[in-house]
This record gives sequence, structure tokens and C-alpha cells, in this order.
Amino acid sequence: MSRSLALLRFALGELLAGRRLPIVAALVALPLWLPSLLAPSSGQDATTFALDLFRNLVVPVLLPVVSFAFSTAALGNELRRGTITNLLLKPIPRWSVLGAEYLAAVLATLLVLLPAEVVAQLLAARGLGSGVLLEGMLVATVVGALAYSAIGLLLSLLLSRALLVGLAYALLWEGAVVGVAPSASSLSVRGYVEGVLAAILDSGGGPELTTRLGPASATILSLVVTAVALTLARGRLARMDVP
Amino acid sequence: MTAEARATWTGERAPGPQVRTAGRPVVELRHVSKWYGDVVAVSDLSFELWPGVTGLLGPNGAGKTTTLNAICGLLRPSQGEVLVFGKPLQGDPMLYRSIGVVPDGDRLYPRLTVHSYVRLHAELQGLSGPGEAADRAIGEVGLTELAGRRLRGLSKGERQRTKVAGAIVHQPAMLVLDEPMSGMDPGQRARFIDLVRTVGAAGVTVLVSSHILGEVERLASQVLVLVGGRLAASGDFHAIRDLMADQPRTVMVRASDARRLATGLIGLPTTVAVEVEGDALRARTRSVEAFATELPRLARDSGVSLREIRTTDESLEQVFNYLVRRR
Repeated sequence: MSRSLALLRFALGELLAGRRLPIVAALVALPLWLPSLLAPSSGQDATTFALDLFRNLVVPVLLPVVSFAFSTAALGNELRRGTITNLLLKPIPRWSVLGAEYLAAVLATLLVLLPAEVVAQLLAARGLGSGVLLEGMLVATVVGALAYSAIGLLLSLLLSRALLVGLAYALLWEGAVVGVAPSASSLSVRGYVEGVLAAILDSGGGPELTTRLGPASATILSLVVTAVALTLARGRLARMDVP
Repeated sequence: MTAEARATWTGERAPGPQVRTAGRPVVELRHVSKWYGDVVAVSDLSFELWPGVTGLLGPNGAGKTTTLNAICGLLRPSQGEVLVFGKPLQGDPMLYRSIGVVPDGDRLYPRLTVHSYVRLHAELQGLSGPGEAADRAIGEVGLTELAGRRLRGLSKGERQRTKVAGAIVHQPAMLVLDEPMSGMDPGQRARFIDLVRTVGAAGVTVLVSSHILGEVERLASQVLVLVGGRLAASGDFHAIRDLMADQPRTVMVRASDARRLATGLIGLPTTVAVEVEGDALRARTRSVEAFATELPRLARDSGVSLREIRTTDESLEQVFNYLVRRR
């Protein structure tokens, strides 16, 4: 097995070790599944319900919280415990260590969110429901996980309270500031996620979605933010003294 | 270490770079300084390391860990350069194929077992048989019976030996050990010293830090002495001990009548000074051996009972201070 694969497997194991996975999975599944279970009996349209649930619960809360929880823990815990020396004092470039930890954080996030979203859709629609909506939600979740995890990883290399800062960004900036100043949505991962979702729904004939960012802008900006955050994190890890 | 374990040190090594050290030192520090804001951790350090065991000696806060971290590439010097196998480590991570490090502190993953921790090191080193390499390294540090135990349940000495196993799993050409014997009991220490000596005799370059003089004396023939972030002395351990031969030593004696005993002690030709305080006296002598011979005779002749005798200046700090004053 190559060193990078071994590192990825180990990093993923560390993130999902012990009771962390079942606890996070339960915290995500309960608020998604319970209303989905009750939705059909209320006579609400399944597609509208699933879209509302995704836009009001997954995008603004669950996606950033889970992404930041895993991404700030990936290297943050290694730094806090001093165990990062086990990884850095090896014939592996530091950027490769960063890449493995990033991939592990993204995979852990998706491992928790994607199945929960699929099950919620199945429960709400009493079947597969709208295929294009499910596809849009899953792709948008991947885009959001990639961007939030890159930001979270960078924060963990810069700050000791990275999770707190990440949550403040998601809940205060994206939740409040962008709401009153729509132009700020160009600096909002939430805006990119909704833009990507809207683009997929639009191209697949799904329900119409009004977003502040167009599909092209949302896609490009999400890629730029992810790339910039990872580049800065790479530079930081390469230069940093390890205590 | 068992004979079997000794034999396996020449087994599989990580596919490392060609480490050619003939004619040049394994490690070179050239005018290395490291400071954090206004605090200078180490200042203008220059020395070389060659195959064999070298002790890095110094009191707490002397800059040992900073020096080791600079050598390992964990921190960048503020000034100067560190070359390992002739290259800066930060520019070539592949050099870590030939380096094993036991850093200070715990730095272990509590959920892992001894075997899975050591195997992780073997996998990250790119060994083709990580399980076998882990078994061998665990055997070399005498932890085979605990291989399946989780690290969170081990004693400090056992965890320390686990770290050593992780550092030697790829049989490196250079080993850096920061206070490796902390937490080990005397038996474990003896076994560990045997391992380090064997590894050093096999041509591995070993740098071991410690603040305990006796520990380094048993481990290394060459020493580097750090005091206040500066290199106070370097070279053969016994030569450095000889440097201290003319340094007066202080001996503390508690006796039934310290004042009467002091009168006799001051008459000895090797005594430099005597201070009396209550039932205790502090004598400074140029020869501890002569003092130890004369003291019982003086006590008997003057009818004084001895309650406690101890040398107070065997502490490393005093030895280091002496070396610094000589510079």
C-alpha cells in the first residue's frame, strides 16, 4: 500500500473512530428523517418538501457544521495532541499529508450526509422521488463539503479555536450578513451550493430555484475558494514550526 | 535485546536514498540560532554528528528539544543551517526514510494498539512487510506480550518503548531520541541502553538527549553539553568529566555536633571552606574521595555521630555552570 493511501486510511479512521461516527450520524439523521417520515401524511408535495428541507436545514446548518467538525479536527487534533510528528517525520511531503487529511475530512462528511439525504428523500417521497432533485442535492452537498472542508483545514492551521470560527462564519456571515446584504453571497459557500443546485435542477427540468449567484459564478467561485484555501493551507503547513 | 533481535537489525530497510556519509558528518549544524520573539531558545550552535552514539546533555530549558527539533526538520532555524546527510531536511522529505525520531512528550494515539501504532509507522515508511517489521521492532523493545494492548492502557515506560519501536521499525541510519528513558523503570532502562549501544555499534548515528548525567554516561561516549541555548562543551564524555576534576565539590553532612566536626574538617589540606548551620555543615573539598576517607576518622576521634552525608553538587546544573564559567 502506498504511503499516501495508508495515511488517508489512518486519517479517516481517526476521524470516525470510537463513538464519533454514530453520534454525528444520529445528530444529522434525526432532524432529517423525522420530518421526512411525517411529510407524506401532511399531504405536502414530496419534491417541494425535500427541496425546502435541503435548503433550510442541510445547506445552512448540517453541511457547514459537519464539514467544519471533521475538517477542523483532521489536522487540528493532530496539532493539539502533538501527534502530527508521527505523520510529518516520514518520507511524505507535507502537502501530501495535507491532501490526505483533506480527503479524509471530505469523505467523512459525505459518509455522514449523503446516506442521510438519500434516506430522507426515500422517506418523504415513499420511493425514489424526483431523480434530478436527488442528484442536485447530492452534487451540491459534495461541492459544499469540498469548500467548507478546505476552509476548515486552513482555519485549523491558523487558529486554536478553528471550529468556533468556522461555525461563526457559517451561522453569522452566511446566515445573517448575506441575508441583509445579498452582494456578500459571492463570499458565501452557501451561495455556491445553492447556485450549483439551481443549475442542476434547471438543466434537468427540476423545480425552479431562485438564487443570488448564477450557475457559472457559483461553480467557479466554489472552485476558487476551495483552491485558494488549500493553497494557503499548504503554504502554512510547509512553513510552520511544529512544537 | 536478544541475539535474535540484534541479528534482525540488518533486515529490511525502507527503500531510502543513498546515504553516503564517508568523509562527511551525518549531521552538521552551522551557526544555528532559534528565537521566538525576544526569547532566544538556542544561539549560534555549530557541531557535527558522526556514526555512533552522542549524548545531548543539558538542564531543563537548555535548548535540547529545540536543537533536536531543528535537526529533525520540525522547526526552521531563525539563523544558520542544518544539514542531514549533506542536505537540508525540509527540502527533501525522502531523507526521513533513513531517520527515526522519538520526540518528547506522549504523542501517541490512545485508540491504537502497540502493534497497529508501530505498523502505521512501517506503512508510512513504505515498508513492503509492515506487519513483520512491526513485530520485529516490538520484539526489540521487549513489548511482544503487549502487542495487542491499546496504548491508552499502558504505563508511561511502555508507551515510551512503543515510541522507540515506531522510530526503529524501518531500521534507520540515524536515530534522534529526546529524553527516551523518561518513565522507564531500571530494568527497562538497562534493556534500552543495551539496544542503543548495539544500534550505535552497528554504525547508526544516534543522538540521545537527557538531563541526567549518569544516564548519558552509560549511553554515549561522545557528548554535547548545552547550557542556556549555547554549546558549553563537546567531545569525549570522560574528557569533559576530567575538565571538572579541579572543581571543588560540596558535601553536606548532618551530625550530632556539626561545629566540632567542622573544626576537624577545616584542618584537612583538601578542604576549601566549611559552613555550619545548626546540625548541618557544608564542606567544599577538592577531593571527595579524600573527604570520604577522612570524615569517619574525624567523627570517631571527636566523638561525633554522623547522621547524613551527601554530595550536593553532582546535579547537572552545577556541572554545567562550571563548564560555562570555563568558556
